[in-house]
Amino acid sequence: MQVSRVTLRLFLSLHRLYSIFGDLHQIWRAYPFREIIDRARRGVEAIYPADVLKPSIMTLKGADIYSRAKQFATLDELLLLPPAFTPLRLKKMSELLREPLFSDVDLRHKIGGFNAAMPVMAASMGSVHVANKISLEVARGAAKLGIPMGVGENVATTWGYSRRVKANQPCFKERVMTYLEGLEEGYGGVAIQQSVEDAYNELWNRVYSDPDIEPYLKKGMIGFEIKIGQGSKPGLGGEARLTKEDAERLRDKYHFSEDPREVSRGVIERHSAPGTYVPEILRSMVRMMRNNYPRCRVWVKLGPFRDLPDVLNTLLDEGVDAVWIDGKEGGTGMSPYASMRHLGLPLVAALCSVSEFLKSRGRLTSILASGRLFDGGHLVKCLCLGLDGVAFGRPLAVAAWAGGARGVENYLRTVEVEAKMLVSALGKYSINDLSPEDLGCLDRDIAERLGVRYVYS
Amino acid sequence: MELKVDTHLQQLTQILQQSWRHIRTERMKATLKIQQAACDAMRSYLKSVGFMELLPPIIGPVTDPGIRGAKQVTFDYYGREYKVMSSAILYKQAAMSGLGKIFFMSPNIRLEPIDSASSGRHLVEFVQLDLEIANATYFDAMSVAENLLCAAMNTVKDECKRELELLGRELPTFSPPFKKFTYDEVLELLRKNGMKVRYGVEIPWDAEYLISKIMDEPFFIIDYPRGARGFYDREDENRPGILRDFDLIYPEGYGEGASGAEREYRYDRVMARMRETGEDPRKYAWYLEMLREGIPPSAGFGIGVERLTRYLCGLNAVWEARLCPKVAGVYSP
Repeated sequence: MQVSRVTLRLFLSLHRLYSIFGDLHQIWRAYPFREIIDRARRGVEAIYPADVLKPSIMTLKGADIYSRAKQFATLDELLLLPPAFTPLRLKKMSELLREPLFSDVDLRHKIGGFNAAMPVMAASMGSVHVANKISLEVARGAAKLGIPMGVGENVATTWGYSRRVKANQPCFKERVMTYLEGLEEGYGGVAIQQSVEDAYNELWNRVYSDPDIEPYLKKGMIGFEIKIGQGSKPGLGGEARLTKEDAERLRDKYHFSEDPREVSRGVIERHSAPGTYVPEILRSMVRMMRNNYPRCRVWVKLGPFRDLPDVLNTLLDEGVDAVWIDGKEGGTGMSPYASMRHLGLPLVAALCSVSEFLKSRGRLTSILASGRLFDGGHLVKCLCLGLDGVAFGRPLAVAAWAGGARGVENYLRTVEVEAKMLVSALGKYSINDLSPEDLGCLDRDIAERLGVRYVYS
Repeated sequence: MELKVDTHLQQLTQILQQSWRHIRTERMKATLKIQQAACDAMRSYLKSVGFMELLPPIIGPVTDPGIRGAKQVTFDYYGREYKVMSSAILYKQAAMSGLGKIFFMSPNIRLEPIDSASSGRHLVEFVQLDLEIANATYFDAMSVAENLLCAAMNTVKDECKRELELLGRELPTFSPPFKKFTYDEVLELLRKNGMKVRYGVEIPWDAEYLISKIMDEPFFIIDYPRGARGFYDREDENRPGILRDFDLIYPEGYGEGASGAEREYRYDRVMARMRETGEDPRKYAWYLEMLREGIPPSAGFGIGVERLTRYLCGLNAVWEARLCPKVAGVYSP
């Protein structure tokens, strides 16, 4: 009797304690205390994802975009819908004289003037040191698979054009040549970005008159890429965090909020301008590239802007070779939290604009998508919507950190096999046969805008 | 085809690597004699119509970015990056704002793309007679250009009979004004001759060769579309997208000899145009400050001395008109 009363009392006090903590916890969750306290403690530094992680897992920075931002629709809203009747499989069978298998799917495709063994591009990763450090592994892996590769902004200005300025960081030309020399004959191509600061050093002119790159210029394997914005931070310029030492070396080239020489912190933010565009400037810029670099492909990387159709129209009128659209989920590595949460269209919304655009103007240029895409399903869904491929950034970086060039290669092979399986499941063996009929959407409005069926209808 | 170009390049390299030997040939002596006569003639013509010759600045914090695909020479200037002039356009405008009608014999360096080595028309190191006229239109500039060319041709014909004979060159007599074709008309003409050119870029070399071959006297191509030229070529206010500029083209396949325009001198317009090359206007701080203070409108052009010599002498390639020539990608003395 005594015992049970003690137990009961204990239970009651525990319960009281639990409700107090529970209430506290609820209040804690209902209001962003943690974020505000972090800002109060760390000041302006707190607007970026924290830098406490080791470089090897810094590739994860910004990975929490889905939990930080209000949930929005992703490609998971779409499903691939195989039919039972497969006339194209019959056609393939008569061509092969046997039942076709998924390995009979042909993924070869022309992207932006380059021959790709599959419609995937190694996204243009820039100078941020986690990306640059594994760039040679990415280059080797991409070359091995025969897919085009991008080189992002600021690499030459930050890490040197043909000579390393820091022993453990590859320079620009190492990245380009490792890739080009690793390619199998007949595949690949490299698209090179130039920031305002790279332009100061005439990066494109330098590439265009480089004797080592000349043979590849001759084969049409070099492209220059205009970058207008980035997925998770459309409208903002490049942001990077540099060590004090690197910042001091680069203080004449970039805008630092404080003079790096007078800062006592070990890490300093570097900002670069987003670039100013109006239709006339963009038009003239493309012409200038055609004019000055007639042997180069012209590529454009676009952030998820609300006037996407206008920009696409302008670019198509000027006949660029490829446009690569980065959804809000992309390029989160060094973006301020505020931009990840509040800026730009989710990739699916951007794809709605693209598919309407393709309907009105047809497939006149290669269009690629990126932004939290990482498997064969993502690739095939984009192809069904009429795109020419996808770009992978972070997946390749993570694969490279995990397993070097071999890791990149392994990862890309999984995407290749998955894509072949899914395409063959649709009863098709060439990616040109894929179409919106192969897709269904879980959301009625999105289905309508994408021109695909609503799965429950 | 590719093999042929490569052998040509190898032969060229061999020749250029022993360029000191050319100077002793009769052919080279005749060429340089004609070059001197042409330069003298151009100088006296310009002075007779009120131009002042200035010594050209050859280095500075920035230079002309509007050179198709060519890289600039950058060097360390007491801890800052400076450039060797690829053209003295920015300094020309400064000089014109004080002196009205000016010209330089301006040495320029352009690290041209390697595929220019076999064009017969490109040198890394060359000299241009670069002039600018305050308060002038591009038609005024074209009129100076045609008179200048005729002055050089007539003088050479009079004074260098023996040299022309030695080179096997016969020069006709032309009388200005030269014909003017708009960019659009040239594209149409090329199309009729089976060559398609993408609208919006400068006329490619092979197309320029073709059109120059069709013509039997020098002519102008005018009104290039915006995007094909540097930020300093002025856009026509009544025809948006069209620049008030020109190229002087030699006949017989010799191609472009001079290039000029009315200048964009308004600060805000220049800033917007600079974005087209993807550059930060901050780089051109001194120039923009000068424009903000205000300079007179002007027009001008540059005429390449070696290309002019090549035309006058009927040479195969422009490098034959220069002592110890430098051609893209070739390591020669």
